[in-house]
Amino acid sequence: MSELINFDGLKDMAALLELLPERKKRMKKASAEPQTGDAMAALARALHPELQRLVIADVRQEAAGARVFRLVSDMESGTAAPAVFRAGQYLSLKIDISGVRVARPYSISSSPADAADGGFYEITIRKKDGGFLSEHAWKEWRVGTKIEASGPAGFFCVEPLRDARHIVGLAGGSGITPFRSMLKDIVETGADVKFTLLYGVNRPDEIMFKSDLEAFAAQAPDRINVHFVCCEPDAAWCGPTGFLTADSIRKLAGDPAGKSFFICGPQAMYSFLETELKQFELPKRRVRREVFGETADVSAHPDYPTDAAGKSFSMTVHCGSETTVIPANSSESALVALERAGIAPPSECRSGECGFCASILMNGKVFVIPETDRRRLAAKKFDVFHPCSSYPVTDIEVKVPLDKS
Amino acid sequence: MAEGKKAKLGGACDAVIIGAGNGGLAAALALAVRGAKPLVLEQHNAPGGFATSFVRGRFEFEAALHELSSIGPENNKGGVRRFLEDEGGVDIDWVPIPEAYRVILTDSGMDARLPFGEAPFIDAIEEKVPGSREPLTRYFALCREVSGALGLLAKTASNPSPKRIMKDLKKFVAESADPFDDARRNASNVVTFLRTLPKTVDEVTLKMGIPPKAVDLLYPYWCYLGIPMSRMNFTIWAAMLIDYIDYGAWIPRLRSQEMSYAIEARVRELGGRVEYNTRVDRVLVERGRVKGVVTASGETIKTSAVIANTSPTQLYGSLVSPASEAPAAALRNVNSRKLGGAGFVVYLGLDASPVELGVNDYGYFISKTMNTDAVYGSMEKLDLVDMQATICLNNAIPDCSPPGTTIISMTTLYKPGVWDAVKPKEYAALKNRLADAMISQFDDALGTDIRSRVEEIEVATPATFARYARSFNGGIYGYELDPWDSIIPRILSEKDESYIKGLEVAGGFATMGHGFSSSLISGRSAGLKTLAGLGG
Ligand SMILES: Cc1cc2nc3c(=O)[nH]c(=O)nc-3n(C[C@H](O)[C@H](O)[C@H](O)COP(=O)(O)OP(=O)(O)OC[C@H]3O[C@@H](n4cnc5c(N)ncnc54)[C@H](O)[C@@H]3O)c2cc1C
Ligand SMILES: Cc1cc2nc3c(=O)[nH]c(=O)nc-3n(C[C@H](O)[C@H](O)[C@H](O)COP(=O)(O)OP(=O)(O)OC[C@H]3O[C@@H](n4cnc5c(N)ncnc54)[C@H](O)[C@@H]3O)c2cc1C
Ligand code: FES
Repeated sequence: MSELINFDGLKDMAALLELLPERKKRMKKASAEPQTGDAMAALARALHPELQRLVIADVRQEAAGARVFRLVSDMESGTAAPAVFRAGQYLSLKIDISGVRVARPYSISSSPADAADGGFYEITIRKKDGGFLSEHAWKEWRVGTKIEASGPAGFFCVEPLRDARHIVGLAGGSGITPFRSMLKDIVETGADVKFTLLYGVNRPDEIMFKSDLEAFAAQAPDRINVHFVCCEPDAAWCGPTGFLTADSIRKLAGDPAGKSFFICGPQAMYSFLETELKQFELPKRRVRREVFGETADVSAHPDYPTDAAGKSFSMTVHCGSETTVIPANSSESALVALERAGIAPPSECRSGECGFCASILMNGKVFVIPETDRRRLAAKKFDVFHPCSSYPVTDIEVKVPLDKS
Repeated sequence: MAEGKKAKLGGACDAVIIGAGNGGLAAALALAVRGAKPLVLEQHNAPGGFATSFVRGRFEFEAALHELSSIGPENNKGGVRRFLEDEGGVDIDWVPIPEAYRVILTDSGMDARLPFGEAPFIDAIEEKVPGSREPLTRYFALCREVSGALGLLAKTASNPSPKRIMKDLKKFVAESADPFDDARRNASNVVTFLRTLPKTVDEVTLKMGIPPKAVDLLYPYWCYLGIPMSRMNFTIWAAMLIDYIDYGAWIPRLRSQEMSYAIEARVRELGGRVEYNTRVDRVLVERGRVKGVVTASGETIKTSAVIANTSPTQLYGSLVSPASEAPAAALRNVNSRKLGGAGFVVYLGLDASPVELGVNDYGYFISKTMNTDAVYGSMEKLDLVDMQATICLNNAIPDCSPPGTTIISMTTLYKPGVWDAVKPKEYAALKNRLADAMISQFDDALGTDIRSRVEEIEVATPATFARYARSFNGGIYGYELDPWDSIIPRILSEKDESYIKGLEVAGGFATMGHGFSSSLISGRSAGLKTLAGLGG
């Protein structure tokens, strides 16, 4: 190796030393101005604000006992404009109801263009009897009510690099909301896709956004098709009837091969359509479903440990430096138990998907519905669980994160 | 909300660690195993920073890690594995990467698969480019010496005199029991180290008589350093090359998230605390000494020791409070340095097996050329970059996704400023355009059709890294390792460049540079320094 080496050690040392003087020189020359922020942090904040302070600008009645709330930014509280979103995303609204802070996800039913340049979001809430937030909204929300929301979230969006050029939307009930946003977006952006929407309802008067949806189809007749499918038609009904089945889908949307299916609706509809769509033998990449929130009746799941049903357990909660013991019903998610007790860990999707509520299960057992268990592998290994989609089946001890705000 | 219900962090701790990335977690581990009680405050809802994963549909994607150096097999553990397992008691299921890399140069049509281990590596290059063996053998010997000497220097005290360095190096050479002993016992080897120290990779490598095509096959790891070989410090390169070729490369079985959760769980088991959703907005400093931190929710935690798993640019630019406590010298220091590349990654979940797709290797470096200046130049435009570093996780961990599916992630770099002007409105379309081009870049180079099998796609941009890990301007590669700002000058200047008492930096922006191993090692050393400061 010696042929490589120049034995001039002195020169080498000098070279080493030159590095340090050069370093010093460069630092001396540099500015002493602090860099107090950076463009990517600003872009990330604009795209994903931790909290948007909004205010209700309009309330409209929709069919099926639903209300459309138009939300604009609450300049006074420092939100300059609603954050950009992609059609199909939702907002998690954070509401204080008599001392209890809860969060609920609502799909944005207005379009991205509506929100652009200081515009608005619309969310459409269907009244649910005994619903905790929806009843509160009906009673309390009017023009001028301030609402806190997360940034736009969720993955129920059309993605050109993944989805087919022809999309079939299957909507049920209030599951129409993200589709309204998508269709309006297709009209407004001239996106190069075909969209066939099949909207299933029980009764004709349950169709939400009927005239809007028809108008979108009329504005882009070569790209948008809308069909309403009614289970219990009245005498005046002249459209297709029955459930959304494999047959009716094929009839209305054509050959399923080479198309992408987007599904959003009540839990029962997912299970039903899952069986129906099997007949099409579609690859998994061609079927996308929105998450449906907390499970209505967890004890109905075949894997549920039946002896836990209908019980109340105790839950020891460590949060920050505090420890509390609270009750937890086996029929409600651990997140609901926490919220009832006035402990509000962060949450967004309430479907096990986003990881915002991730906590540690220190002792005891919870039931997690396997189909919606979206925890990371390592999370499972290290006893991390998502309270929004976990149901206590014994007394439990948990460590939950602090709320950010 | 009911008054008084708001939980507080409270509690006593020996040191506050800002951030649970590799650096922060390693610092917490180093402290906790020595009986100290660290409090780690992390703004996100999971540990790891970049060392994380995320789930989409039936796929769990690795966010960052392609491969970790310094792990090595059970019977020949590298430094990082010794730290985590033997010192830290952290149990991770390590999986070896099958081969060093496949390199495809689209301009010249060069396509080669290179294995680990010096002899097989050189054999593979010799087969493609006859006449490479002899110069490469010499080259590896040179790299080995430099790498060994670097290891030694990292152990010497900060700010040693050149005389002290000479002495240490001579001692190292004399004590070495390495197979290269005969060569090493010659004092000239010390000179070799010193001689190459101020040099760039090109300056050393291009003089060794290695055929240019063989250099092309040797250089792909430059992607992990992210600055062209005409500026990259040779010492660091040599150390990295030797580490990968000798120890191979490894990944945790359950993504890098397994490592971060494992360290976090161990830290808690040892009595440390880790709090999520807790951003630190200020580091309180009084007359040059750390006094505490203030969280985003306004809680003050008193402490005399803080380890920041952030860039010093953010630390001195916005965290140190009051701003007047950020010394001008510290601000000049961070402003003189160049921010390394910002990340852009396309994650794909595909509904066909790797064999069906024809994607049979783990790590791909796909590049127009190995002219690193030209490729680096292409990172300055908001367009397809000439290079992508791509992994197919299934080719290291076959069951990482359901049968009949494949996970691929494609990474490239942009100069951070390139994204500065991007508006929120244009963001989604821009991501889409660049991802589209990278998918074609891959399919064209391999003759595959992954495009038509996409079941899940996610794209991370500099803004994504800024969001989840608060990395400065989306930078994922620390500060650039120019010769004057490479690791040796940093080590030699540590004392001079320590500005606030009780404040240490850990992670990819610290002395040892970016990368999983380096950030873990720097975290460990920040932990040890903090412990010394605590009088422990
Ligand atoms: C992604 C997504 C998008 C959605 N989009 C829409 C939409 O566009 N339009 C729409 O109408 N709905 C939408 N939903 C459903 C919506 O989020 C709500 O679930 C629905 O409005 C019912 O909420 P609620 O609070 O009125 O009803 P509830 O059923 O009362 O709320 C759910 C839980 O709250 C619990 N609870 C009851 N009392 C308390 C208490 N005192 N403290 C704390 N918790 C309590 C209940 O036990 C129940 O488990 C969406 C859901 C998801 C996941
Ligand atoms: C796509 C990609 C691929 C890569 N591939 C490889 C590879 O194959 N091999 C390799 O060795 N390296 C690789 N790297 C580099 C490696 O990931 C990084 O160098 C390393 O993880 C940096 O670790 P860090 O300690 O600096 O912490 P970071 O990961 O930057 O984490 C910092 C943590 O601190 C938190 N934090 C920051 N500020 C605050 C605050 N004010 N309050 C509270 N918390 C805060 C952040 O949320 C974050 O969790 C890759 C990186 C990326 C992005
Ligand atoms: S709120 Fe999304 S995982 Fe629990």
